[in-house]
Amino acid sequence: MEGKDNSMATQSSAPPLITETVSADALTKRPRIGESIIQAFLFVCGIISIFTTIGIVVVLAEEAIKFFALPQVTLLEYFTGTKWQPAIGHFGVLPLVLATVLISGIAMVVALPIGLLTAIYLSEYATPRARNILKPILEILAGIPTVVYGYFALQFMTPVLRTIFGVETVQIFNVASAGIVVGILIIPLVTSLSEDALSAVPRSLREGAYALGATRWETARQIVLPAGLSGVTAAFVVAISRAVGETMIVAIAAGSGPRNFTLGQDSLFGFILNPFVAGETMTGHMVRISGGDLSYNSVEYLSIFSIGLLLFAMTLVLNLIARRIVTKYREVYE
Amino acid sequence: MSEQPETYIAPEPKFGYPSGPKLGAQIQARHRRGQVWYVLLGASLIVSILALIALLYTIVNDAFGLVAVEYKNDPGRLVLDQQEKIMLSDPDTVSSEDDNELAAGIANDPYAVGFFGYAYYQNNSDNLTLLAVDGITPDTANVEDGSYPLARPLFLYSDADILQKNQAANVLINYYLTHVNEEISGVGYFPLSAGRISQSQQTWKQANELDLPAGQWASINPEGVGGRLTIAGSSTVYPLTERMLQRLQADGFAGAVTDESVGSSAGYRQFCVDGSSDIAAASRPMNQNEFAACRKIGRQPVEFAVGTDALAIVVSAQNDFLTGVTADELRQIFTTAQKWSDVNPNWPDETIKRYIPGADSGTLDFFVETVFPVALEDLPQEALTAILADNVSLGLGRRIESEQRFAADQLVFFTEAQWAEACDGAEPYAGCTLPPRDKENVLLLLEENVTVPNIVAVWKLVPSLLNRTAIEQEALEKYPAANLQFSSWVNLDFIRSPQSSTPELAGVRTAVLGSLWVVAITALVSFPLGVGAAIYLEEYATDNRLNRLIQTNISNLAGVPSIIYGMLGLAVFVRALEVITSGAAFGAVDVGTTANGRTILSAGFTLALLILPIIIIAGQEALRAVPNSMRQGGMALGATKWQTIWSHVLPNALPGILTGTILSISRALGETAPLVVVGASTFITTDPNGPFSKFTTLPAQIYQWTSRPQPEFQNLAAAAIVVLLVLLLSLNATAILLRNRYARRPS
Repeated sequence: MEGKDNSMATQSSAPPLITETVSADALTKRPRIGESIIQAFLFVCGIISIFTTIGIVVVLAEEAIKFFALPQVTLLEYFTGTKWQPAIGHFGVLPLVLATVLISGIAMVVALPIGLLTAIYLSEYATPRARNILKPILEILAGIPTVVYGYFALQFMTPVLRTIFGVETVQIFNVASAGIVVGILIIPLVTSLSEDALSAVPRSLREGAYALGATRWETARQIVLPAGLSGVTAAFVVAISRAVGETMIVAIAAGSGPRNFTLGQDSLFGFILNPFVAGETMTGHMVRISGGDLSYNSVEYLSIFSIGLLLFAMTLVLNLIARRIVTKYREVYE
Repeated sequence: MSEQPETYIAPEPKFGYPSGPKLGAQIQARHRRGQVWYVLLGASLIVSILALIALLYTIVNDAFGLVAVEYKNDPGRLVLDQQEKIMLSDPDTVSSEDDNELAAGIANDPYAVGFFGYAYYQNNSDNLTLLAVDGITPDTANVEDGSYPLARPLFLYSDADILQKNQAANVLINYYLTHVNEEISGVGYFPLSAGRISQSQQTWKQANELDLPAGQWASINPEGVGGRLTIAGSSTVYPLTERMLQRLQADGFAGAVTDESVGSSAGYRQFCVDGSSDIAAASRPMNQNEFAACRKIGRQPVEFAVGTDALAIVVSAQNDFLTGVTADELRQIFTTAQKWSDVNPNWPDETIKRYIPGADSGTLDFFVETVFPVALEDLPQEALTAILADNVSLGLGRRIESEQRFAADQLVFFTEAQWAEACDGAEPYAGCTLPPRDKENVLLLLEENVTVPNIVAVWKLVPSLLNRTAIEQEALEKYPAANLQFSSWVNLDFIRSPQSSTPELAGVRTAVLGSLWVVAITALVSFPLGVGAAIYLEEYATDNRLNRLIQTNISNLAGVPSIIYGMLGLAVFVRALEVITSGAAFGAVDVGTTANGRTILSAGFTLALLILPIIIIAGQEALRAVPNSMRQGGMALGATKWQTIWSHVLPNALPGILTGTILSISRALGETAPLVVVGASTFITTDPNGPFSKFTTLPAQIYQWTSRPQPEFQNLAAAAIVVLLVLLLSLNATAILLRNRYARRPS
């Protein structure tokens, strides 16, 4: 480049002849302060994400430790107690976890079959025209804010359930309608991740199966699905993690009080596992408590951080499992 | 050893693979199984599509519908009163409750014009000329079918209790309904259709609890019936009642009847407020305020339509230049024009003399309503201020004006001296320095203090469209004092009004502004950081442990539930960094409010952390898609790494980065949980004015409204959802357009 003083030559205008020696630092590039500053700035940007994670862990752990240090809270009661009523000193987290598990379970029952079947359709059966209709619909479903889904659960799903199962069986706030709508929320996620996994299976496998006379369904079920199984399983686990972390739908539709129970006294299927009764989840509880008046360092304030830590741990473990499945069990064909 | 090779015999297949005809059957069975599964696949697709349709249906169903509104003061009545006041105060207008007086006045003056019931025209038809309106002169045919625009039904109102206890009143109404069509043309009005009369008869039968079949009528012989009876009301109905009374007395009726011609409004006052009359006669139907007043004194009004009047627009017989007017000319003649030539240059240059009924007349109401119908919102600001002045107490008016004036040149509730004294004093009013209120402001004041709408019932869209008559019935029975109107909960007022605790007045302005502020800060913070991190990871990072850790970390962060970010924001930005985020460090805290960290700045930072991983991942993908040849070309020409990135790689990757950013921002716009945790206010009516303001966002507002039990709040939530979805749709559409536009560009 003309004019750029970037060449290997130093003070002399003529390049050194092959017989001349050149000192080492004549060959190193000139330090450019600007580049270094920019690189440092970009590095800081990259590091910020680490600070975020550290921040999350520190913040949650710090307040959770303060919580567990309180005299009225014991770890044993926390993990095995079946009543969550901080006002009178009951700190058993099981009712909240139970509701979370129930809702995630119902959501999975809804989302996994439908999502997987849709993904199989998209990757094996769909014509380009069908794709062009279906993919935007799934994108729209994925882009709708969760608070709108919550409204939908309260205003549509609950009345429908009450019509089907009777107004006596189904309460106004219940776990079933929240669970079903969380499932609907997750369908696009399952579909897109599964479809990515199934599409990654090379065409040669399918073509081989067709060549051997397999029908389209047989190919999909016996060749493609097992080949992409790691990705599909990972998709399922990610979806579960999303369902566990879902907040607004459950806050609006699932009720505003933990389903406290006593083992032995309350019937298992009539109350404890009954999906038609209200039950607040971990996330719903956190949002309700922090949306009201909250004085820092009160028991309620500290308790939501302990639940937050538990939630973070649960979703982290699920996400790590998903990634492990993908890296360890993925079948690479090429 | 044998010379021939052994023939190869294939081993028996372990699965018993069929052959021959069984093979065909097996293939068919497998295909059938495939088809069954295909149907299941189709069903699973349909579930997603149905879910989306159900979602949109629920929202639209709640965002529009019929609404029953009760007003403290009916806005239609307020408009009428205001317009009539203007008309009656005009110096060239003569008004009277006595239509004969009006007729005499018009007859004498060639430049006069006026209107009253058709009967009065007929009685004076020698001295008066009837004008055609839009080419139509009233007669029986065009009055009955409605093509004459100024036709109106005439009514008698009473109460079932009165009819059952007061024989005279009962007989009068019964006689009316039996014989009115025989007399009405003679009086000068127009008969109702037989169907309409039998409707009134049905009402009479119901009021008397007579269980007769629909076609049958029972007429009472008035001979010998006595008692006292007072009818008061419309001057238009008066001649008709007088004629019926003449006949009644000829047929032996012995009751003592007081018949007062005072105007429909005065008649309703006597019937519903004073309780001094037994029957009200009117040329306009009872409005809901009068209805409510009647119910307050224990009367349940029943309506009997008895005939139709055509409003006659008349000029003197001496008038030689008019035979008919258009509706537009009519408007001008009675409002803006001063001389006849103002309306039509062919007409004489003389002042128009107007003869109109008085303020209590239903005829005047009808004329104003029909000839210049105007909604409250369309009146000019001066008229609105006048309505406000007429309907609030002096104390309240002074309080309102002291906060902000109504007009720069005129005081409404204060004298000039009082105002000057207050403004020069120790504590001047806020209104001394603020600019005057605008029309929106005055309309809002009217809503809050004068009309005071109160929603008593709501219906969803689909029932409103399909079951309209059933709903009207229900509304009439349960909420007779309410107006039934079709309302779109999403309207301009909704977007412009701030939040309010009454659902009738609530709007999303505060929430939308809050959302925009928060998202702006989120974008400003997360975009440079995210793109920077993406560039670092893609262009600069070597494959060492730290960078792999960063990469894993980012993927993990993308899967953390959003509420955890809220807790992080609560602990770090709201608590620990309160000095910065509340603005105390910059001296930006509003006087009189407690400084705390629950501000837009905290919310923006929290959401920025939330969407940072998504932007980084999208940025990385965009950068990865830039072909290496670009970078190598730049390097080959001697550019430094950053120069290559800035001038070659980034511009190429920018569309992808932008698309990812816009999608993340639309995600941030829809986030609720972290903002509720960080401290979105549950009730805030002031607009945010900076990053240190308290705030609420649109999703938080929706959550708040959905949590309220009253049904009106569900409708408000649905309307707010519509606004939110429209915002998101436009954002996403921009992203998709960007993506499609730049996808075509060869890189």
